[in-house]
Amino acid sequence: MREVDLTAVRPYGDQLGDGLVQLSFTLPVPYSLAARRAALELMTRVGFEEPEVVHYEELTPGYTYFVMYARCVESVDFEAIQGAGFDVEYMSEDEIERFAGERIGRPIVVVGASTGSDTHSVGIDAMLNLKGYHGHHGLEGYRSFRSYNLGSQVANSTLLAKAIEVDADAILVSQTVTQQNLHIQNLTELVEMVEAEGLRGRMVLACGGPRVTNELAKELGFDAGFSKGTYPYHLASFLVRELAARAAAA
Amino acid sequence: MLAELTSAARRLALAGLAKNTGKTVALTALLGELHAAGERVGVTSIGRDGEEHDVIDARIDKPRVELAAGDLVATTDALLEASGAEHEVLEHTGARTPLGRVVVARVTAPAAIEVAGPSAAVQVREAADAMIAHGAARVLVDGAIDRRAASSPSVADGLVLATGAVLGADVEEVVLATRRAVELVRLPTVPAALADSLAPLCALPGSGALVGAGVATELAPRFALTADQGALEALLDENPDAERLVLPGAVPEALLAQLAAALRQRRRELTVVAGDPTHIFLTEREPGWYRRQGLSLETVRAISLLALTVNPVAPMSHSLDSAALCAALREAIPDVAVLDVLSAA
Repeated sequence: MREVDLTAVRPYGDQLGDGLVQLSFTLPVPYSLAARRAALELMTRVGFEEPEVVHYEELTPGYTYFVMYARCVESVDFEAIQGAGFDVEYMSEDEIERFAGERIGRPIVVVGASTGSDTHSVGIDAMLNLKGYHGHHGLEGYRSFRSYNLGSQVANSTLLAKAIEVDADAILVSQTVTQQNLHIQNLTELVEMVEAEGLRGRMVLACGGPRVTNELAKELGFDAGFSKGTYPYHLASFLVRELAARAAAA
Repeated sequence: MLAELTSAARRLALAGLAKNTGKTVALTALLGELHAAGERVGVTSIGRDGEEHDVIDARIDKPRVELAAGDLVATTDALLEASGAEHEVLEHTGARTPLGRVVVARVTAPAAIEVAGPSAAVQVREAADAMIAHGAARVLVDGAIDRRAASSPSVADGLVLATGAVLGADVEEVVLATRRAVELVRLPTVPAALADSLAPLCALPGSGALVGAGVATELAPRFALTADQGALEALLDENPDAERLVLPGAVPEALLAQLAAALRQRRRELTVVAGDPTHIFLTEREPGWYRRQGLSLETVRAISLLALTVNPVAPMSHSLDSAALCAALREAIPDVAVLDVLSAA
């Protein structure tokens, strides 16, 4: 087995380092040979080598859907990225329960919602509800957590009032962040309200959504950001570790 | 220019009215002036600064934060390592962020550094004071997006506010949005004669009180966050002589809007007192509109606004004429310096 050079990793298809990727996208042009040509040209312009259309079809008149293979020549320094930021060491559900029992010793109270005008509650439901997501049940199913899911389109003041009422350890917000500032303002407003209530040191704030990264979470003022691919045990691992660290520092 | 305008503030906050209003450009301009004057500077950020690309829109390039030998910085251990800057770590602050743990360090050679300090206001103040203790003559605290917590007088001694073309399609819209924000920042403080009696009511933990001649009604817990129209009307009707509603925590717009309606129906006036301007959350209306409904806003502590910086460019969108925008802002907002740090208009 060839050893991976972690300072220059690239996608893997058939052989290590071959850079092969599969892409799918739609162009707003009629299904035709010219459309196929346009997709190939676009991939070349982006910097991919040896682009290949493996499938294309008419999506609806005037739109063509493509699946392509191509070779990515760029690489990233994985070692440098690993160093930047704080990687949470994920634990299994059993490990989380044990860790929480030993280090925190009381139920961890979490209040979550999709705030503002955001009508999507899928993310928050996946994290909090018993049913969970992909066979990993949400915080509701953990003995060490007590969770409150307020649903979608919740005002920041309502969410915060509930968090204060139940003496929450953490507030979890789900938002679909877009280039428009609206959702961002909603997220920063919650952080600033928690500050105004003098609770920023006590409550852990986490946000999640399809475009939320740790970098964005930092700018917004949250303690962590979770994106697509997050399972409830990821969130739970972060929460128990963060609360244990705060308890140790206090 | 900015260095002189802000010299009274040992801890200076830089806040933007939105993303891409040029807050970090103002920071780098100020850093340049302070370095030219030979001052030892401490820098931190409540968000993140000096990154190459915008976190929401990667097409937008961001200014670098250049430090001189001897400068202090509060940023995460990981970012400090990644920068390759020569430095010595002076303190571990105990602040944890999504980008790592925050340390206070002295750079020992000029370096461009990505700065991500503590996120919480109390910890920002602690980091600023630590940098002063280690010899920083001035500490610059950069804000993030539209966050205002670092401009609180409990964190910083003075504020530079960044505004720009992203706030509106034309000069008038930008001026209007800026004037509203400045009006909030410069809300009047409570009369001196009342300050001693109101300040304790406005301290956390507490739920606040309704006060006036012979009136002192303590509010229910979380009143400001949860009160509905009925509760507000009942409170007003039970206390016909109330003059001030003192609220120690967050003051959401929903509360003010309902209170204004109740006051208007009763042809009454009331003043809402908040701890400082960063506790008041307005997105729909400005303080002047509420005042016209009979609802005045006051704060116990004031923010010292020292300058307004202007970015006439909205990235990936439109540009406004810098001179015209600055002139319009000066006319609409008296008693504060207005400048475009890039064109020095």
